[in-house]
Amino acid sequence: MSRISEHPILGKKEKGREVEFTFDGQKMKGFENEPIAIALKANGVMIHRYTKKEHKPRGLFCAIGRCTDCVMVVDGKPNIRTCVTPLKEGMVVNTQDGVKAVGI
Amino acid sequence: MKRYEVIIVGAGPAGLSAAIEAAKKGLKVVVFDENDKPGGQLFKQIHKFFGSKEHHAKIRGYKIGEELLKEADELGVEVVLNATVVGLYPDKEVNVRINDEIHHFKGDTVIIATGASENMVTFPGWTLPGVIGAGAAQTMMNLHGIQPGKKILMLGSGNVGLVVSFQLLQAGCEVVAIVDAAPRIGGYGVHASKVSRTGVPFYLSHTIKQVHGEDCVTGVTITEVDDHFAPIPDTEKFFEVDTVCMAVGLSPMSQLLKMAGCVMEDNPKRGGQVPIVDEYGETSVSGIFAAGDVSGIEEASSAMIEGKMAGVCVAEYLGYIDEEEKDSLLKVFDADLNSLRQGMFAPKNRGKLIESTEEGIEISKNLLKKGYVKDDEIERFPGVVHKSGVHPVIECTQNIPCNPCQDACKKGCISTGKNITYLPFVKDGSECINCGMCVASCSGQAIFLVNEDCGDGSATVTLPYEFFPLPEVGTVGYGLSRKGEKLCEAEVVSVKSVGAFDHTNLLTMKVPKEYAMKARFFKCS
Repeated sequence: MSRISEHPILGKKEKGREVEFTFDGQKMKGFENEPIAIALKANGVMIHRYTKKEHKPRGLFCAIGRCTDCVMVVDGKPNIRTCVTPLKEGMVVNTQDGVKAVGI
Repeated sequence: MKRYEVIIVGAGPAGLSAAIEAAKKGLKVVVFDENDKPGGQLFKQIHKFFGSKEHHAKIRGYKIGEELLKEADELGVEVVLNATVVGLYPDKEVNVRINDEIHHFKGDTVIIATGASENMVTFPGWTLPGVIGAGAAQTMMNLHGIQPGKKILMLGSGNVGLVVSFQLLQAGCEVVAIVDAAPRIGGYGVHASKVSRTGVPFYLSHTIKQVHGEDCVTGVTITEVDDHFAPIPDTEKFFEVDTVCMAVGLSPMSQLLKMAGCVMEDNPKRGGQVPIVDEYGETSVSGIFAAGDVSGIEEASSAMIEGKMAGVCVAEYLGYIDEEEKDSLLKVFDADLNSLRQGMFAPKNRGKLIESTEEGIEISKNLLKKGYVKDDEIERFPGVVHKSGVHPVIECTQNIPCNPCQDACKKGCISTGKNITYLPFVKDGSECINCGMCVASCSGQAIFLVNEDCGDGSATVTLPYEFFPLPEVGTVGYGLSRKGEKLCEAEVVSVKSVGAFDHTNLLTMKVPKEYAMKARFFKCS
């Protein structure tokens, strides 16, 4: 999805510095301290995890840390709410499968 | 264990307002909020608020948030962020999770201002990535500057659904439809109209049958429903979308109050499980107060007043002010709150079908069903008048407590009469100087400056325009109807953007004079 370059009411968004992170081993760019989920969305990632029993995809839903649909494995730690966790340089983000990273 | 005179849970409009009032009286205040930024949902509200000056009318929500934070900061209010209150126990003991630790506090008084959470409806496909809450859409576009999707269907026509749809358009997204199972649009007609005139269709008495897609949303099928909300066969319509947004109401987040032993009730008019409170927000547990959406779903404007009330009550409870001072302060807040709770959208009128205005004018049925007032209906409203030269045409057709228009006109052309909810009218003999302040100050974007006959077969229509790219003078395009349909050729003859308009640009288009009272939006060709 596109970032809004200039908004008619809010103008230009102040963002942190650009940083690199990986998503399922793939290099991606985002802005420091924006939620991980926003950086993923800007890179076109829709699926954050698969449910444990039925292996159904889940993505960003409430975007304020309530619903836990967007949890992923971040730096090896599962169940991280990516919509409220700030992106840092070099973060390793993986799609979550049940309660573990995909492919583990 | 740390002790505070007042512990406030939630740094949204209600919590911050309560903190400010209490701190003003000298209390030692702490506010806990689970988010990493204070302000609650105010920073996502980019539209101009309704009401009167006392209610911060015509100021955009995020600016009200900035003002509240500044005031709280100046008064020395301590706001602790990333702090989730997980327990409220007898004697006002409070457990707070900060990082991965539980901290223990005690309050002499407690104000719960936790707000509300979004409701959802379920249908096949509702868990697919791309189905989101309206709050999520606001968070993405207004806080983090990213489009929630390219093509979006909105479910819900209450004020949240309408306002967020407009914000989606402002963020450059396409809104393919606004759908609601109810037979009538739930939010303000003016909010519906400003979306409708851009060409967004409304489907009332419709609901989502299914969202399509394997890994994420690729489309949605809606279906018409009967009076009992049962789907009517063979009425399905398909839309290709990448996002479905739900704005289907809010529920109070009142769990802490229940935990503290406050007497609760299930009150659908207030949005669900709410504490039973007195008129100033005190619960059945002495010294525990509730303010804002947690005690009944309303708006940020009323939440701020309820917060102030709780702040004052707490000050008196702890002896910082006497009863006389409390009563005189509460009297003012009471009047403010009461004026907000007037009109056809007042809490007491929730769910009622209102067929005529307080003035006795028949409400536009088309507005309630389709989101716009029809050409043959608009003439009956008092703000719609015909005059020679440039004059305001006020398409405000429902009784809403709001009056920035009458304060905006330096020439005193506009009045809402003695009651804030009355429909504004143009005063006889008043002289319009084409300054545009009324157009920019109308929170509902319902005022237009019209010159019905420029003498050369054309007319000009000045309209509020809050989109990018802003058309330049000389741009040729189309005049759109209130429904958003192409009516006629139109040319932009003036674009005004001054500081006092606060990002509401005034776009003047020239149209053939027969469209002076019909063309209400401009679209580039």
